[in-house]
Amino acid sequence: MLGGKDKLQSFFEKDIVEVDRETVEQQSAEILDHLKNGESVSFLVVGDPFGATTHTDIILRSLSKANNIVIANNASIINSIGISGLKPSKFGGIVSIPFWSESYKPSSFYSKIVANCEIGLHTLCLLDIQVKEQSIENLMKGRKIYEKPKFMSVSVAAQQLLSCQANYCGESHALINEDSVVVCLLRIGTEFESIRVSKLGDLPSLDYGPPLHSLIIVGEIDEEELLSNKI
Amino acid sequence: MVNFTVDEIRALMDKKRNIRNMSVIAHVDHGKSTLTDSLVSKAGIIASSRAGETRFTDTRKDEQERCITIKSTAISMFFRLGQENLDLITSPDQKESNEDGFLINLIDSPGHVDFSSEVTAALRVTDGALVVVDCVSGVCVQTETVLRQAIAERIKPVLFMNKMDRALLELQLEPEELYQTFQRIVENVNVIIATYNDDSGPMGEMRVDPSKGSVGFGSGLHGWAFSVKEFADIYASLFKVPAAKLMTKLWGENFFNKKTKKWSKGKENDNERAFNMYILDPIFKLFDAIMNFKKEETQKLLDTLKIKLSSEDRDKEGKALLKVVMRTWLPAGDTLFHMITIHLPSPVTAQKYRAEMLYEGPSDDAACTGIKNCDSNAPLMMYISKMVPTSDKGRFYAFGRVFSGKVATGQKVRIMGPNYTPGRKEDLYEKAIQRSILMMGRFVEAIEDVPAGNICGLVGVDQYLVKTGTISTFKEAHNLKVMKFSVSPVVRVAVEPKNPSDLPKLVEGLKRLAKSDPMVQCIIEESGEHIVAGAGELHLEICLKDLEEDHACIPLKKTDPVVSYRETVSAESSEVCLSKSPNKHNRLYMKAMPLPDELSNDIDDNKVTPRDDPKVRKAYLCEHHEFDATDAMKIWTFGPEQTGPNLLIDTTKGVQYLNEIKDSCVAGFQWATKEGVLCDEHMRGVRFNLVDVTLHADAIHRGGGQIIPTTRRVLYASVLTADPRLQEPVYLCEIQCPENAVGGIYGVLNRRRGVVFEEMQVVGTPMFVVKAHLPVNESFGFTADLRSNTGGQAFPQCVFDHWQEMPGNPMDPSPSNKPYNIVIETRKRKGLKEGLPELSNYLDKL
Repeated sequence: MLGGKDKLQSFFEKDIVEVDRETVEQQSAEILDHLKNGESVSFLVVGDPFGATTHTDIILRSLSKANNIVIANNASIINSIGISGLKPSKFGGIVSIPFWSESYKPSSFYSKIVANCEIGLHTLCLLDIQVKEQSIENLMKGRKIYEKPKFMSVSVAAQQLLSCQANYCGESHALINEDSVVVCLLRIGTEFESIRVSKLGDLPSLDYGPPLHSLIIVGEIDEEELLSNKI
Repeated sequence: MVNFTVDEIRALMDKKRNIRNMSVIAHVDHGKSTLTDSLVSKAGIIASSRAGETRFTDTRKDEQERCITIKSTAISMFFRLGQENLDLITSPDQKESNEDGFLINLIDSPGHVDFSSEVTAALRVTDGALVVVDCVSGVCVQTETVLRQAIAERIKPVLFMNKMDRALLELQLEPEELYQTFQRIVENVNVIIATYNDDSGPMGEMRVDPSKGSVGFGSGLHGWAFSVKEFADIYASLFKVPAAKLMTKLWGENFFNKKTKKWSKGKENDNERAFNMYILDPIFKLFDAIMNFKKEETQKLLDTLKIKLSSEDRDKEGKALLKVVMRTWLPAGDTLFHMITIHLPSPVTAQKYRAEMLYEGPSDDAACTGIKNCDSNAPLMMYISKMVPTSDKGRFYAFGRVFSGKVATGQKVRIMGPNYTPGRKEDLYEKAIQRSILMMGRFVEAIEDVPAGNICGLVGVDQYLVKTGTISTFKEAHNLKVMKFSVSPVVRVAVEPKNPSDLPKLVEGLKRLAKSDPMVQCIIEESGEHIVAGAGELHLEICLKDLEEDHACIPLKKTDPVVSYRETVSAESSEVCLSKSPNKHNRLYMKAMPLPDELSNDIDDNKVTPRDDPKVRKAYLCEHHEFDATDAMKIWTFGPEQTGPNLLIDTTKGVQYLNEIKDSCVAGFQWATKEGVLCDEHMRGVRFNLVDVTLHADAIHRGGGQIIPTTRRVLYASVLTADPRLQEPVYLCEIQCPENAVGGIYGVLNRRRGVVFEEMQVVGTPMFVVKAHLPVNESFGFTADLRSNTGGQAFPQCVFDHWQEMPGNPMDPSPSNKPYNIVIETRKRKGLKEGLPELSNYLDKL
């Protein structure tokens, strides 16, 4: 997908129809209708096929309609985290950090990170991407006007994390602070990929370039991990 | 006639204890504008050459033609008070020492109910009100409405009984009958005051009392008036008794026996009520003598009463002579000025108790303290109550009252619209005031600055405010409270230009119209229709005329007027409704049920508001509306516009992350209650219980984009399953007519679904008053219809009263079902999907 539609088309020698989130969420029945005519449908996704709940939903609903379902595994940030030098086996639950708006500031992800830290596990934070989102006003008016695509950078994520930390109290929450070690996974899977280690407190003022970004909050580090980091 | 220079006026403005800001309010045709004329002719009017002409304050051509006031008009007057009257003012906040001149800013407001929004705007900037009542017709529906508004704004009233000439000449009442009439009106007014004001409140006792001089009697048309005080003054020197003592004797149950020279408290054989004997008797004698051409007796009376006429006046006869005699003997201007200066509060007095009602912020910040003390050196706080068109087309003066500080030309200020919240940037502009001006009727005069307690206009603010707003120099200032109108814009028409290429002019014209009237609403529907909504037929007629002739200046096509409806429910939802978010991973469960009618009314009347302390509100709801105590503490929001009469209540138990979606639910609720499922009208009187919620574990998947539309869908589903209904607006209609016309009224009302609930004779007159409820939808052409059926003898006054549920489920598609037809027509008109809304669009299965 990172290679673009044309490359894929020429590779598969098939036409590919690009569908946006709205179609997948609200008109998935139409996609599945093709199955009735005995056609086969390939659904190409970014990342792990089971990474998004909507994709799982499509698979579940096609179970009754399709004769045969083949799932091809895909490269994903989740199976690429080894590149950070941290052991994939030492990761806890994955969290997503959503963009905050003036009225919407969820912080449930923060407690999950804390829970991981408490037992020494690393946390992979997936950062929000908003492609083709309507503003609340346009949503209400029913206007199909979409906002510019937005991708969360590690510095925004760090800002939100730190302000969560300021709002929480209690001993265990001190586990995450400005001195926490974090690994920034930048544009993984592209030719511009880069990995940076930093302190959480330094991130807000840093600019790590264009998207996509992911962030790892490092738990306890064992010797092997230290070694691999030196490489 | 005194002409003042701006500098002299400016000097008066600083003497804030000698200022009286007042409005004149009354029912239509009770003679406000005419009475105001007698004040104008008396006083030193500032920079005007038109004084003395009739209906000075009716500046518009159509006002003069129709003989009704449409827009409120302000005039400033100057008046010197004599020493003996100065002594009557005891409070130090009510007069400056060593100054006998008073600056009176008077606002004449319209009496017709359709324009009561103008009255509201006038009340906000004044501290006292002269309530005019026609003593023949008595207290009418609009008298009550405006009086109630005045009290809610903490405006102190004084009462004036107008048209006494009619009572004497046309009705030929006996003195005791006339006294009883007066007594009844005073009682009626005091009942209204007592209902809406608490004597132990900050304003103290507000009742009007003839024996204290706060009630005047007379005739605006003939230009004479008196209060008990005037007569007490006359007799005090005669009897060598202090006037104050006499005043209490000259009203009420005080009888005097001429033979025994004894006072008593009850009527006996040969004593007489002091009011009749000492006040009415001379007046009656004069009337009798002059109107029956008894020349000698007239001369005798004139001598006794020490009335001196000029030689040319002496030759007059009958009514003309009567006018001039009465006017010379009891000049209306003097009486009114005494009542105003002695009984109405100065800004210094009034702002002390009005501050907490006016200001939204904390009662101890600099702005509030400034208002309380009427302090010209505190930060500026000014309320803009209306926009007044200038001679320059499309531009407006912002008209308002300075409550604290000083507003000056060139001053940099914060202009805060009604939607401004402190700390945010929405609806806030920081600009310089182009010019501050004095406004007198249609004349304006530039002025350097205006201190607290005064009324003035501003140039250059109109671009930033739609209708009203707050102007301040204080960075932490909250808004001054938005005015609450007693009428709502329930009648609407769609307009379009006759020539389609004129559309931009229409849009611009609508913008100007929205500014120039405090109440009118100009809306653009989804379908592209331009809607003008007003309080009633007359109001709309005037607005559209203004739009066509002044604001847009293009020929217009107008549709027939239609009314707005409200959508409500009549039962609890038949099932717990479920809707899934677009990504299928969040589920909301909801039920709708009707709110008790009284609660909807309480919310409309601001008795229950989202700003209340939740605990106080809980107690009120539990006590008055049998609310469950836990539910009452879990009201998430009101809607639409966060204040409307629909509630969203959280009745879930132990849902994790619920508070994260609360804002999205509230936004969806505001949206859904504003645009109801049936035909896009507001909802009213619906309570929604959020029963359960299942959320995606990941915050990214339960953002506003997922929750807001889902909330709306689940609310719609719960309405559709809860036996939906429409509510239509209903007027309270008061009709005055002679007895023989009553039959005709019933006929017209019956044909228009009107229901009469009261019919009575006005005591002491042959007039009847019929009160009825009339659906607004049936009121178009009502006045004309009524006139033609009663030979032009019946005059209706219609004021919006309440919302009434229409029988029949709008979802039942039978051709005779009225609500169904309304829904279908409204949807068509608004360009919505035709046909009834389908439940399956909103209700999901697990």
